[in-house]
Amino acid sequence: MADTTGQLSDNAANTPAARNAIGALIILLLAFAPQLVELAMALAGQIAALAVRSPLQVMSAHGAALVESLPALVRQWAEGGKITLRSDALLVLIYTYPLMAIALFTWLVRPRAPQDYFGGVVLMAIALFALWAASDLSGMRGFTFGPGTAPRMLGVLLLGMGAAVAVIGLVTEGPSLQIYHWRGPLFVSLAILSFAVAIRPLGLIVAALASFLIAALGTSETRWGETLIVGVVLTLGCALLFPYVLGLPMPLFPRLLVQ
Amino acid sequence: MLDLFQNLAHGFAVALSPINLLLCLVGALVGTLVGVLPGIGTIATVAMLLPITFGLPPVGALIMLAGIYYGAQYGGSTTSILVNIPGEATSVVTTLDGFQMAKQGRAGPALSIAAIGSFVAGCAATVLIAVLGAPLTRLALLFGPAEYFSLMVLGLIFAVVLAKGSVLKAVAMIALGLLLSMVGADLETGASRMSFNIPELADGLGFATVAMGVFGFAEIIRNLDSGAESDRELVQQKITGLMPTRKDLAESAPAIFRGTILGSILGILPGGGAVIASFAAYTFEKKIARDPSRFGRGAIAGVAAPESANNAAAQTSFIPLLTLGIPPNAVMALMVGAMTIHGIQPGPQVMQKQPDLVWGMIASMWIGNLMLIIINLPLVGIWVRLLRVPYRLMFPSIVVFCAIGIYSINNAPVDVILAGAFGLFGYWLIKHDFEPAPLLLGMVLGTLMEENLRRTLQISRGDWSVFITRPLSAALLAIAAALLVLAVLPALRRKRDEVFVEG
Repeated sequence: MADTTGQLSDNAANTPAARNAIGALIILLLAFAPQLVELAMALAGQIAALAVRSPLQVMSAHGAALVESLPALVRQWAEGGKITLRSDALLVLIYTYPLMAIALFTWLVRPRAPQDYFGGVVLMAIALFALWAASDLSGMRGFTFGPGTAPRMLGVLLLGMGAAVAVIGLVTEGPSLQIYHWRGPLFVSLAILSFAVAIRPLGLIVAALASFLIAALGTSETRWGETLIVGVVLTLGCALLFPYVLGLPMPLFPRLLVQ
Repeated sequence: MLDLFQNLAHGFAVALSPINLLLCLVGALVGTLVGVLPGIGTIATVAMLLPITFGLPPVGALIMLAGIYYGAQYGGSTTSILVNIPGEATSVVTTLDGFQMAKQGRAGPALSIAAIGSFVAGCAATVLIAVLGAPLTRLALLFGPAEYFSLMVLGLIFAVVLAKGSVLKAVAMIALGLLLSMVGADLETGASRMSFNIPELADGLGFATVAMGVFGFAEIIRNLDSGAESDRELVQQKITGLMPTRKDLAESAPAIFRGTILGSILGILPGGGAVIASFAAYTFEKKIARDPSRFGRGAIAGVAAPESANNAAAQTSFIPLLTLGIPPNAVMALMVGAMTIHGIQPGPQVMQKQPDLVWGMIASMWIGNLMLIIINLPLVGIWVRLLRVPYRLMFPSIVVFCAIGIYSINNAPVDVILAGAFGLFGYWLIKHDFEPAPLLLGMVLGTLMEENLRRTLQISRGDWSVFITRPLSAALLAIAAALLVLAVLPALRRKRDEVFVEG
């Protein structure tokens, strides 16, 4: 969740004049991050033929939830009785709407310590998301805790703490946002991701070398000659160390070659 | 009393046999070498090397495991100091000042003091186990769930007090850490909590995954930022002396002494004793220091105190294991596993039935510590030289090691991706001036806290007042409240001063 904002706040830091509009936009994007992530995973699922909801289903379900959830809540509340809403609708009610409100608020105000303000807002977002994620768990049964009790208590605590940090960042003078860089975070994450994807089908040698070289793209200081040599030596070292010396079960070569 | 020293002598007779000495040496050496790889901490090292002890006789196997454990722990501290990656929860605090010392070119003294502090604490704790083992176990028995909960609250407050920045942000980080610990199966009902049907999350987030992310990967990413280059150059250029100076020793000797005492006491309590011990020792040093602002900027006492405390605690945490059969942490749980494989049921009867084993192991811990210092003081130079490797080659290597290390824990690619995500999150935390250490402590203690809270309320039938009516628990909570007030007061005063200045 927060990772997405982390990278995106980049723009916010570079343009102090228009910071509020951009800050508000980023929070708005954060408000829809779970839906977007699910959509992205649905698209990836199409390609990898995984059993997830199809992209169209995801879009229609979340779209409907966005429109229907509030009227449905009011209707069920007016009728009395137990409130039962679908998970998508709850997500909108617990997470998306409050964050949209915060985004609107952000657009209207000028926080005096943006670093704390946006930090607090993201913590609130995490807390709201956790409250939604724990909403399917049962709470107190008599005097004993249910599985959902502690997560909900902590969710509320974190929400309060996030709000306090944000309010203090709003009213007291403090540091502005630090500049985010894209190159390091992008290539290091890509290196980690490629290792995770490659280790099972392609084996340790390919995964380690690829990940080493991708990570090396993360800085302009890299000299490719020495990097390639060190990468190959390190990969061979790992290939000897982990499966043989330490006896860890790890595929060394691509699955296709082994067969 | 005499009896105890006779037992101890018997233990040394067992542990000093050439074959057991050799096993201990090999264990400590291998443990150090594996533990020093960034990304592979104590738990992972012991888990990996556990199988090589299976073929040995029980006493030899446990002696070798003790060696591996101390070696791995020291290896973990080495990465904390050199590359800011704590191998396990107990060395999180070491990163605060250890890494700063490395940045100032004083990695050698930091590593040496860590080894010396561990050795001194180990010697003291060994004697303590022999003398106080039985009576102290009675104290641990006084602790019910309410007391454990209050103790852990105190531990978390320690984390708040030692955080550098605002108290509010530190509390927020603890809340987040506790929340993260809730992910996975519920302890009592087994209900899957906040795991989004991802099978790898059903067991909860691993400590190694989160620690590697918010400390390891985040630090690497931050170092790649332009502007951080000058910072790094500094690390590589000036390395001043490998051994601690007389001044360093004078500064750290009292810290080692206090850390040992705190660690020995807290280590006996099952449940994160060693973790709380290292945090508590650091906080204590910072509170009584003449100039607390030096902490977090490379104060040698900030390395000496937590390193001796965690080693003392690690040692005394054998007491609940050997006497009650309760493993106080993950490594001890692995030890229990090893014991059961050799047909030994840990618990009160071990002390009577297998004195060879118990006292042999206690003696071997001291020998393990000695091996540690013999092996590692000469190696300090080599570890420090690692810092001279240019960062452009160093960081991709750390990324690869960490990735392999995390993958090897559960053979789960998802864990690697999660660690990467936590790395980005840790980068974001740095950018917004949040501290990751309280988050990690909250995550480690979260499960235990919830368990004890639920148990307490079940016993008291929903009555929360037990926490203040039970004297031990009330005392612990009172200390926690007092510490929190002490932490908040200076902040308030500063704010007020600012207001006055502005006015």
